[in-house]
Amino acid sequence: MSVLKVKDLKSYYISEVFGIKRTVRAVDGVYMEINRDEVFGIAGESGCGKSTLIKTLLGMIKPPLTIVDGEIYYDFGDKKFNILSLNPDESRKIRWEYISYIPQSSMSVLNPVRRIRDTFKSFLGAHKKFEKDELEGLVKEHLSALGLPTEVLNAYPHQLSGGMRQRVTIALASILKPKVILADEPSTALDVVVQRGVIQLLRNIQEEQKNIIIIVTHDMGIHANICDRIAIMYAGKIIEEARTDEIFKHPLHPYTTYLIGSLPKIGDKSYRVSAPGSPPPLSNLPNGCSFHPRCPYVMEKCKKEFPSLLNVEDEHRVACFLVNKEDDNGARD
Amino acid sequence: MGQEIKLLDIKNLVKVFTIGSGFVKSRITAVDNVSFDLESGRSEIFTLAGESGSGKTTLARIILGFIEPTSGKILYKGKNITEIKGRKEEMWFMREVQPIFQNPFETFNPLKKVDSYLYETVVNYGIANKREDINSAIDEALNLVGISFQEIQGRYPHEFSGGQLQRISIARALITKPSLLIADEPVSMVDASLKMSICNLFKDLKEKQKVNVIYITHDLATSYYVSDRIAIMFRGTIVEIGPVEKILIDPKHPYTKILRDSVPEPDPEKRWKEKIKLSSFEEREFLSIGCKFADRCPYVMDICKKEAPNDIILDGVTVKCHLYSS
Repeated sequence: MSVLKVKDLKSYYISEVFGIKRTVRAVDGVYMEINRDEVFGIAGESGCGKSTLIKTLLGMIKPPLTIVDGEIYYDFGDKKFNILSLNPDESRKIRWEYISYIPQSSMSVLNPVRRIRDTFKSFLGAHKKFEKDELEGLVKEHLSALGLPTEVLNAYPHQLSGGMRQRVTIALASILKPKVILADEPSTALDVVVQRGVIQLLRNIQEEQKNIIIIVTHDMGIHANICDRIAIMYAGKIIEEARTDEIFKHPLHPYTTYLIGSLPKIGDKSYRVSAPGSPPPLSNLPNGCSFHPRCPYVMEKCKKEFPSLLNVEDEHRVACFLVNKEDDNGARD
Repeated sequence: MGQEIKLLDIKNLVKVFTIGSGFVKSRITAVDNVSFDLESGRSEIFTLAGESGSGKTTLARIILGFIEPTSGKILYKGKNITEIKGRKEEMWFMREVQPIFQNPFETFNPLKKVDSYLYETVVNYGIANKREDINSAIDEALNLVGISFQEIQGRYPHEFSGGQLQRISIARALITKPSLLIADEPVSMVDASLKMSICNLFKDLKEKQKVNVIYITHDLATSYYVSDRIAIMFRGTIVEIGPVEKILIDPKHPYTKILRDSVPEPDPEKRWKEKIKLSSFEEREFLSIGCKFADRCPYVMDICKKEAPNDIILDGVTVKCHLYSS
């Protein structure tokens, strides 16, 4: 059963300076369906629109970001809504209790002049009423369940290491047991050992609270480690989506093939080839399939039309004319 | 003497930073008694790997002459670079050793055309002074990185992708025909699909131009792919150094083991299973005596907390760990 359903989502950055209108098509026609108890990964290069997608899913829409088209339905059983049609009060109630967010840089979430304890207190106080002692106990219980020392509550953010700060942020995002956790590059700024600790923590939370985690990162190693399903984004669109083992073993889109094939592995020194050319700017996308100027198998059709994301096999969807040759009429619901 | 002059010979290098002033002064040893060398007469890619705060960038900046070391020696082709005097010697050293920085968007001034950097480099280093000679010098360097002069002429940095800009900054470094490139995280800001093309470029330069590269990174997977030797740094010391195949396939030091196991493998069948222990307060590790990894080490012994371990040579690999001292 799907909890989150995204339909033809288009969110653009539209700005107008001195009469010059500029449109950056960051998310351009995305369809997604995410099921209960699932870790969903979104992979892509910098500037492919993956962070904008996460922001839109959270309902954090501020100009110049504009929703041009599309719907985002959440269905939590007791609560069903389209996040794009909520007013600010309603979306504030939903945020953190139903949908929470883990940002990349934890320093910008934690107030540098307040102790971690105070951050927790004001955070929880804004959502529920607590007795004074009850609150402290709840925070301590949550921290020790996650394996974090409770002494961090007395510390200021700058006293903690980067990894500990990020784990405190994750503790903060998961304390109200949200149904969906959106994580935007949660471990990118961290060292490998710390990164492993953070991913381990996310996995523990997911196992215990059974929530949906949508994780955005460009690191395919992280995706391989934590995700159940992965979507590959390129130039604002999802071009391939499949189960994790499927995408690593049988990538179908030429871009995914390059991406997976170029990953270096320890113990393997064989020659790796990168995709030719470079990713297009989102403000000036080529006609047709956005990957066609770099694609070695480009056909005439690719330069004119954009291929739609179609089912190839069970749960494996690809947007490429090379793969779905005949069934162009298999339009989506 | 009989001893061959090495390309780069670093001996007991120490750099201490003082933080704060007055009563709350504290000293952090960013580089702690580091020694390694690069042989002359062959080209190699040498990786300095470590986490943030391990001192790898400080070490690079000392080798480039941006920071003065507290003590220790750096001999480049037999010359102590901390004692370089005069414009002529300085010029020689700067021509021989060239840096490549992490973020290509920051290396170029956004308001200046990209080719003006290449012109300036040629003129400032006195490589050529006639218009045609300058152009041919630039063209030669750009050819090495696979870009033509027409592609970059009259264009500004924002018109290029990160990968292309990084290639141009490598071309700029190659104009002076250096023997040693010091590349600090050269691929970490480059798009995933273009990363390997930069790695291949380094391999190519090593094979064809006989350039030595000190490749500084936290990414063990790319360092395995490009480099010949690797040094693992932890809190200012090199804990393990040797051929990359030996160190990354069969690590000896417990820290290298943890680091190696923590690299996320792009293979869903190789997910992490064991749990690890992390440090919560970084400064404690810097200030601790003895082995700095002792607090987190699964094989910790009494001696580790009292004495810093010495170098032990063990089948082609130098490792700093009490586990191997008999």
